[in-house]
Amino acid sequence: MSVQVGKAVDVTTAPLVAASTATLERRAHRGRSRRRTVAVISGLVLTATCILMVFPFLWAALSSTKPTDVAFSNPPVFRYAPTLQPYVDLWQTTNFYLYLGNTLVVAVISTLVALIIGLPCAYALSRYGGVASLVLLVLALVFRALPRFAVVLPMYEISKSLGIYDTTYALAAALIAINQPFTIWLLRNFFTEIPRELDEAAMVDGCTRFGVLRRIMIPLMGPGILTAGIFVFLFAFQEYLTAAVLTDVSAKTVPVFIATQIGQNLPLLQQASAATVLLTLPVVGIAFVAQKYLVAGLASGAVKG
Amino acid sequence: MKRREFWLLVTPSVIVMFGFMLVPLYRTVRWSFERVEYGSPGTSVGFGNYSAALGDARLGRAVLFTLGLTVVVTAFCLVFGYVLATLVNQLGRRLRPLVLGVMLISYVLPHVVGAVAYSWLFDSNFGGIVNFVANKLSGGAFGEPLWFTEAWPNRAIVAANAVWFMLPFAMLMILAGLQGVSSETLEAAEIDGAGPLQRHLYVIIPSIRGVLGFVLLIFTMDVLRIFDSLIALSPQAVGLGNESIMLYIYNVAFREGAVNLGLGSAISVLTILLILVLLYPSIRSLVKEAQAA
Repeated sequence: MSVQVGKAVDVTTAPLVAASTATLERRAHRGRSRRRTVAVISGLVLTATCILMVFPFLWAALSSTKPTDVAFSNPPVFRYAPTLQPYVDLWQTTNFYLYLGNTLVVAVISTLVALIIGLPCAYALSRYGGVASLVLLVLALVFRALPRFAVVLPMYEISKSLGIYDTTYALAAALIAINQPFTIWLLRNFFTEIPRELDEAAMVDGCTRFGVLRRIMIPLMGPGILTAGIFVFLFAFQEYLTAAVLTDVSAKTVPVFIATQIGQNLPLLQQASAATVLLTLPVVGIAFVAQKYLVAGLASGAVKG
Repeated sequence: MKRREFWLLVTPSVIVMFGFMLVPLYRTVRWSFERVEYGSPGTSVGFGNYSAALGDARLGRAVLFTLGLTVVVTAFCLVFGYVLATLVNQLGRRLRPLVLGVMLISYVLPHVVGAVAYSWLFDSNFGGIVNFVANKLSGGAFGEPLWFTEAWPNRAIVAANAVWFMLPFAMLMILAGLQGVSSETLEAAEIDGAGPLQRHLYVIIPSIRGVLGFVLLIFTMDVLRIFDSLIALSPQAVGLGNESIMLYIYNVAFREGAVNLGLGSAISVLTILLILVLLYPSIRSLVKEAQAA
């Protein structure tokens, strides 16, 4: 800018140009220092938010490594000999490993089945323009928003009368149904991004509809399937309400276990904090490793149901 | 796609989804007209459960509490989520994944577990660190608020916890929306002399209106259904008037000594009607979109 101005300078305007260059410089300087202030403030806000976000988890982790007599003492103790005894106790004196196993079995079964039945459905919804397709999508949206108790309490009674109450299968089946609307919406949004010309080309070349799905679409859908899988897995892993109603002793999951420890005495409470840490660590791993997919899933309009 | 192919492909999913959901849903609707207990057939009471529900002061309090919580949490998360998304959007390639990962933790953790961990921060029987730090900073002026046995302090921690686990979602959605704001329009506004505030108010916010509306809708539905976190954070919810609608249904139809399944079902049905009203705009825009395509 100053170069262009310099070219046009003649004797009469020279002082003026010099003056305006000076103001420009001053303004640039002020802008720079203001930008620095903004950067510092935004850095502070982000740091403070991050600390607040992890703090409850960090505090639970600290409590789980303190000796039992000071674990929850008031005022809090900050210098102590760290111990892993609560983890040992958790493993030896409670059925935590059983509950962890249940949680994983339920999450894995419901993820696999949800994807196997959800993929063809989502593909069909993305390619079929008829009224039926629209009706199904709208119904799925409504089902996603249902208050849980409207379906879970009858499920409790039905599962009791069928004799499948308190089994991991019943819980997994309930969660597949409850999360199916979410699954097909998310997968359908990913399918919509794949151009239809691809299907047509493959069918001209002699592929059947199912062949297109199996040979062309599923390989292309890798990231979409992964995203949907991660979400369905997380939802099953997180579920408290359904698990609290549909399980009792043998199919209990970790969130239910931790919730029942709230009103207990100190050692049990400390074991609950150890359980919280053990449950959180893999999930934190997922958050960091799979954040690309989590963000992509959220961005594609997919939301917890 | 041919009709036959469509139905073949959707059938398994439809059977599971509608079979496992419609049958229970039908039962809830039927129960809402009956006096009934688990495992035995009920007797019809007409609209008795509905009139009992609508005349129940406890339900009125639960609705008021839930709506108030929804408004506070949603407003805070929308505004602060927007600020955070703007800040994260300016981060470099190395810091960004780190910050996003940290923010995702509270979103992926089971809510009930997060709420249990949250309760330890406040419960002075368990070394409430929040009271301790606040009193250190204020020289003891903070005192010992009764976080679990007094109505307003308890509401404060319930709201703080809801913000804690829902803020990441708002931030991520808005962040995704910000990627779609055209940088050319922003530059044009800057050349025309728009300051930072004006750029946000007149360029960025209008262009992510859709995302903001979507976040608003999801927040409304999710906070209306809040349940898990109250189990851990508000053990005395009933006495304090801090019951949410879902917790009320749970207490009436599942937990309390004399289970009143009919009443609980009637409240479920009323909640479904409320949700349908809230969903109406999204359903309409969905149908319009489909007709345009």
